[in-house]
Amino acid sequence: MKILVPIKRVIDYAIKIRVDPTKGAQGVQLSNVKMSMNPFCEIAIEEAIRLKEKTTAEVVAVSIGPKQCTETLRTALAMGADRGIHIETKADVRGDYIDMQPWGIATLLKGVVEREGGVDLVLLGKQSIDSDCGQTGTLLAGLLNAPQATFASKVDRGDDGSFTVERETDSGTEVIKLKPSAMPAIITCDLRLNTPRYPTMPNIMKAKKKPVQTISLEDMVKELGLNLDEVLTPKNEVIEVYEPPPRKEGEMVGDVMELLAKLKEKGLVA
Amino acid sequence: MRQFQQKLFCSVPEWVASGTRTLARIGNNQLHYQVGKGRIAPDRGSCRRWILSVPSSPSSHHERDGIQCGSQVLRGPTLHDLAHFRSILSRPDRSIITTLTDEASQRQLSSDSRAEELVRYNQDWTGEYRGSSSLVLRPTNTSEVSSILRYCHENFIGVVPQGGNTGLCGGATPLHDEVIISLEGMNTIYGIDGQSGILTCDAGAILENLHSFANERGYLFPLDIGAKGSCQIGGNVSTNAGGQYFFRFGGLHGTVMGLEVVLPDGRVMHLNMENVDDYGTIQQSKRIASHRKDNTGYDLKHLFIGAEGTIGMITKVSIACPALPTSKNVSLLVCDSYCNVLTVLKTAKEELGEIMSAFELMDYNTLSFVFAHGFGGNESGSRLLHDLLQSESSIQEPERLRPLYLLVETQGSNSVDDASKMDTFLTRLLDSETIINGFLAQDERQLKEMWTIRESCNPCVAQAGCVYKFDVSIPIEDYMEVAWEVKKELSVSMKDVDLIACVWGHVNDGNAHINIVTPGRFKKESAIDKNIEAAVFDSVLKRSGSISAEHGLGQKKNEALGRIKGENVLDVMAQIKGLFDPHGIMNPGKYLPKKT
Repeated sequence: MKILVPIKRVIDYAIKIRVDPTKGAQGVQLSNVKMSMNPFCEIAIEEAIRLKEKTTAEVVAVSIGPKQCTETLRTALAMGADRGIHIETKADVRGDYIDMQPWGIATLLKGVVEREGGVDLVLLGKQSIDSDCGQTGTLLAGLLNAPQATFASKVDRGDDGSFTVERETDSGTEVIKLKPSAMPAIITCDLRLNTPRYPTMPNIMKAKKKPVQTISLEDMVKELGLNLDEVLTPKNEVIEVYEPPPRKEGEMVGDVMELLAKLKEKGLVA
Repeated sequence: MRQFQQKLFCSVPEWVASGTRTLARIGNNQLHYQVGKGRIAPDRGSCRRWILSVPSSPSSHHERDGIQCGSQVLRGPTLHDLAHFRSILSRPDRSIITTLTDEASQRQLSSDSRAEELVRYNQDWTGEYRGSSSLVLRPTNTSEVSSILRYCHENFIGVVPQGGNTGLCGGATPLHDEVIISLEGMNTIYGIDGQSGILTCDAGAILENLHSFANERGYLFPLDIGAKGSCQIGGNVSTNAGGQYFFRFGGLHGTVMGLEVVLPDGRVMHLNMENVDDYGTIQQSKRIASHRKDNTGYDLKHLFIGAEGTIGMITKVSIACPALPTSKNVSLLVCDSYCNVLTVLKTAKEELGEIMSAFELMDYNTLSFVFAHGFGGNESGSRLLHDLLQSESSIQEPERLRPLYLLVETQGSNSVDDASKMDTFLTRLLDSETIINGFLAQDERQLKEMWTIRESCNPCVAQAGCVYKFDVSIPIEDYMEVAWEVKKELSVSMKDVDLIACVWGHVNDGNAHINIVTPGRFKKESAIDKNIEAAVFDSVLKRSGSISAEHGLGQKKNEALGRIKGENVLDVMAQIKGLFDPHGIMNPGKYLPKKT
């Protein structure tokens, strides 16, 4: 089995986002900010490795973005992926919906699936935490005309090559079966699917020796016979980015009577 | 009775006898002591003041516990004092919590709920120490602290300064009915100087708030300890807290630039912190007036760092903060012997050099308790712990064969350089088989979880049973040896008691937290305590170590001070105490040993 896992490098989810209001749509500051693997992509990698541990599989991690994406790929390799493909964009190309958008990414990924050949499963995070679009997986399934299941909270592979997926919906969980097809199954992963492992030191060291193929976006587009504009020109335009308004500072009251008095004063209680 | 009345001359207006105590009323001041045991005499320095003195046989609990200075008897607060405190505090309803029943306190809350509220102040967090104070004062500014102390000084009322109440030696818990002065109402952060990085705040500011305040402005607050969510900087300075950043950013004797201190008699001293008024307003210029260098006169601020509130109360602090490092890496490593830990340390010094910011050790027993009791359902952290403990397939005997765990952190200014240094460091360790396993945090969440494991040591071990805690400095090469030696000795001398020794701490400072746990037995037993203490102290002192590295003395280790310091040193310490606090009202019965 061959599993392809596209992963995205985003601002670390534990870091406070800083927005420079003078920069308009480009306001989210990226320089000197800690970047890590998108948490949902981490879950996708973990799931791929678990599937690999159950059967046998080759897990290929793909990342599209600037030079530093190789670090993110190394994390995936240290967790247990077998090799990496890095489609390198120029340093000033932003992946957080400003320049690269899900359509362009899905178009490229379709090309990678076809270039690889024999891919049985593409596991993706259900969304990235920077743009929160949640579109890449579904667009890819559409472009490939492949069966798909989104928001997976459990994935099982049948002997016939089918995948049984439990998905999270608003009203509970739903179990669907992705029939075996000529195209890879597309599954996007939700938070509850698994708890990603910490890569161990020996595996981090081994990961350094695993192959990562780096191709520039321009070369890849040429090789796949795509149009660079189609991939790189955003379909939507970001108009404005702003920080949530700061919370007003609270006021300490000494006792219940004072609290009641304040609430009455503001007309919140009768 | 007659004998005492004679000594009081005729200027004592009234006597009220109540039980075994006699209250003397002099002007507005009340004095009380036990009938037939004491002596009252005028203070030579003041015609308004009276000194009560008692013979050497035990008479009051305070004297029994040994007030070091003079022979005055301290007393607890009375209704009359309460009325006075109400008159000097700007918002008495919020600032006073008391079980003394006067009209105003009855209006506030029932006596039961007032007693309940007082427990929080009367008891330390370990539950080991408990006082019976009837009055907590929460002043809101320096002049209120000054008025309170002056009054207590004049009236011989014992005082216990209290911060976040997270100490481990009972230093902030009253022995009896002393007045507790809590600084939780004074928590303003005044600012951080853009050029010097010196942060100025009230002593009651909570450490974690100082962290976020400094971080938001691009600085790092140079003190970090497990209790940061509730401890206060005044308490940290008063106990000279160490913590995991000690090695990299220095101790408080190095980082504290200035202090504002209120002396027991109410005088306020500004030590390298001029021009700051009670409300923190900086006068004359807009700059905060603490300097990095100040060689004018005795550097008195150092006396108050680590004095545990025995010679005055710290009300404001200024601390120099370094620029916030932008890149942070954390790794958790597993070693199969202490000898390899030393090699890791040596390698870290060579490869990480100036960017190494923490080198923390946890032993197998500690981590097993963290795994068993910690992590409130955090799956990812539990999984990491599980993987760590699995590194060695079975529990080895004797204990010295069990694995040891290290948390190594770097903080620097260039993430690419730092990552490469960390990589070289780890490669060397793996190639030389110095570590048997390890984890390198891949993102901020993993980094925080690794620290959570380290910070869970204390609370998780406490959940397993009664913990006999020791905080010692020992030569680095004997870091684990002391615990093993103690365990071995105790398994002979107390073989019917099930004991587990847990060790964690700051290896690089030679500072070990040795925790002896009696699993399943939650009550502290004094016989066990004595045995363990003797074994630990012997083992530490044999190696010329320190029996209190960063936790202080409080009421737990003050007696031991007499054993380890020379006579001259003890004398001078007592003189210093007497100089600042002639009536012995400040944190009585703690810090210094009883006078023999």
